[in-house]
Amino acid sequence: MGPHRRILGARPDAASVGRHGISRRQFVGGTGAGLLAAALAGCTGGGQLARESQNAAGPGGALQWWDQFRPLTKMLENDLFAPYKKEHPGVTITRRQMDTPDLGQALQVARRSNQMPDVHSIAGLGGISPAALVSEKWFQPIGKLADFEGSPVSDLLYDGIHRFDGEIYTVPPFSARWHDAVPWFNTALIKEAGVDPEESPATWDKLREVARRITQKTAGDVYGIVVPSKDTEYLQFLVHRLAMTAGAPGAIDWATGKYVFDSQPYIDAIEFLVSLQTDKIVHPASASMGARDARARWAAGQAAIYPWGAWFIGGLRVDEPEAVERGVGVWHIPCPETTRNFVYNPPQPGMLWVSSQSKQAKTAAEIMLRMTTKEFQLKLAAAMDQPPALAEVVAEADVHPAYKRCVDYFQDDVRISPSPEVGNPGVWQVLAEMRDIHPNLGDIVQSVLTGSTSDIAGELKRFNDAISAERERAIKVVREEKGAKVDLNAWIFANWDPKADYDQQAYAGR
Amino acid sequence: MTTTQERNPPATVAARRRRWEWPQRLRKDWWIYVFLLPTIIGYGTYTIYPLLASWWFAFLDWPGFATSGTFIGIENFERLLEDDLFWNAFWNSIVFLVVAVPLRVGLALALAILLNRKKTPFKGFFRTLFFLPVVTTGAIVGVVFTLLLDAGGPVSLSMVASGLLDSPANFAADAGTSLYAGIAVWVWKWLGITLIYWLAALQTIPQGVHEAAMIDGAGAWAEFRRVTMPLLVPFLVIITLIDTVAALNVFDLMQTLTGGGPSFSSEVIEIYIFRTAFQATVPQLGYASAAAVLFGLLTMALAVAQALGFRWARSRIGSA
Repeated sequence: MGPHRRILGARPDAASVGRHGISRRQFVGGTGAGLLAAALAGCTGGGQLARESQNAAGPGGALQWWDQFRPLTKMLENDLFAPYKKEHPGVTITRRQMDTPDLGQALQVARRSNQMPDVHSIAGLGGISPAALVSEKWFQPIGKLADFEGSPVSDLLYDGIHRFDGEIYTVPPFSARWHDAVPWFNTALIKEAGVDPEESPATWDKLREVARRITQKTAGDVYGIVVPSKDTEYLQFLVHRLAMTAGAPGAIDWATGKYVFDSQPYIDAIEFLVSLQTDKIVHPASASMGARDARARWAAGQAAIYPWGAWFIGGLRVDEPEAVERGVGVWHIPCPETTRNFVYNPPQPGMLWVSSQSKQAKTAAEIMLRMTTKEFQLKLAAAMDQPPALAEVVAEADVHPAYKRCVDYFQDDVRISPSPEVGNPGVWQVLAEMRDIHPNLGDIVQSVLTGSTSDIAGELKRFNDAISAERERAIKVVREEKGAKVDLNAWIFANWDPKADYDQQAYAGR
Repeated sequence: MTTTQERNPPATVAARRRRWEWPQRLRKDWWIYVFLLPTIIGYGTYTIYPLLASWWFAFLDWPGFATSGTFIGIENFERLLEDDLFWNAFWNSIVFLVVAVPLRVGLALALAILLNRKKTPFKGFFRTLFFLPVVTTGAIVGVVFTLLLDAGGPVSLSMVASGLLDSPANFAADAGTSLYAGIAVWVWKWLGITLIYWLAALQTIPQGVHEAAMIDGAGAWAEFRRVTMPLLVPFLVIITLIDTVAALNVFDLMQTLTGGGPSFSSEVIEIYIFRTAFQATVPQLGYASAAAVLFGLLTMALAVAQALGFRWARSRIGSA
């Protein structure tokens, strides 16, 4: 201990390096402080602002790009960014692909810490109206930075969705003609069960019969259908689509503006899912599966039919390509009766937005404009994600025949519905004021499928009443506190024709 | 004041001297504080600031997409008190705590006693085996157990095969079992670390004490109850405290295992806060912060009530 005490310098003079020099203690302290200062000075880490790196990169600058499109990774890099960077040597583009929930959290945190990427998707922000984000100055307009009015998608630009106060903020790279309850099937299992893959089961009962036959006639533990129920959002969308095929206009009756979650089509849709479960033709582990888990189980041959979106096959090709090789097919979405009803979607919102904090808006706008060209739309189709805005290019794109058929079926099955936000700019303020109601439709379906409740009609009625009351409260608040000119009439579209698209002219003729 | 100063003049002088000493000590030992600075900055930034900020946020109406919130007083707390799902999450967290902590502490103690015995073979192997899940990421454990506990998983199938179940069950996706499935997995995952605490505690007991008990004719149970356990009580308090804190930090496991479902049956308070803050149609940062603050206050109130009840019971037993 003795020598140690002296070396460590219990007395400052004892550890003195020299008469006039600094003490050893001071030397160690000073060196440590210097190293610490150097470390702190050099540590920019994740807190480094995109704008700082842009300045450092010179006039071209570095563009930060965040989205959730996993199947598009290679295509965006090779067919969008690479050609642009080749033409603009000073530009660098850094893309980060995140899962949707992670992206939503990252955006919220980035926004508050002034570290927003230049271009980003708004997926994961909980379905908030883009108009609310525009009003909070999240984005900057891009209409004057590139010729979007002259682009092939100019007819798809709507006030209140893409254009705000006359300024274009975003463009839709994808088509609005899609839905997320496409019955994708494993062709090998279908054939093994003696089912004709070319003939869509037209009715719910037919689909049920096909699923039953697959369960019974295939070898091993194969189930007719998988309905992942861990993710309530998936269930919510599935039931919406099924209810539409049963005649529902969606969650809102456009003739009265009222919510219709408690209507018979919604009850029938949930009862149909219950009947599949009662027949024991649904994969028994469905309740533990999220949408991607179910796709993996489907790819492993544990279930033959999986109702999901057009992106199903694009995701398969990235994560389970052997399942695409083995054989994948697609049917029309079935209806309860042989009479065909339509599935409705509002106009497709913009997917990508340019941050108000970005100093690279022109570069971002130019790249986004390229996404609207026929050449890029062909590449977009080839990624087999959501159908491209110019859906007609799919016919000549390098895609799997099942994807081509899926997009063809969308032309028959899907119609564009009204969007209250287009009709009345005050609607977004109401939507932003509305608080979530739980249990919502997805929660109710999950409760029913896991046996927590059997009172489908009662639960739907309670939800419908609660969300109606919440909308009325929100309307009152925004009218009284924010002076918004909006009432229940904003949700009424008396000239809506269930068999036709509700287009730009229809809004004028309301 | 004057009276106090007159009464304690030496203390006042000493305090003054200490005040003068402080800048001198700072000048002399400044490098100590330089080395402390990263810890102080880190702790302040990532612990103290978020703690204080969440208290302030709790009084704001703050939609997640806005850069700041509006002061609304105690409105968030008033809404929370009427929010059935908050209370559901609160009680789920309490059930988790009440069931999981005794289970983890008790099982780990039993295993530690077994693995501390001289006669137990392969002690090192078993210690490693029990410790392995501790070093596995919680989210990964959640994902793996989703597969193990679903209707086609080995747990369900073996229970059906052995006649314990009539038909396969989704333990993590059934409203009646999901919370308990989470508890079981949590106990399994963290058992190893509590086992290490107990082994360390057991090894502080001198061998002579056990030998003395044996000479006095104590059997294994009597020795444990009257000799070992009383010596372990101080450790029990610390280990229970550590495990209690851990039982309130189960977000990664529960989110990946059950996602709080089905029907909110396994939604613990952290998932409730996360859902409100990040997954709502309009994220509500103020409301989520208020939930965190209120849960903290209610847990503290429960702990104080429990301590008072414990003291009262001991005094009653003492006076009887």
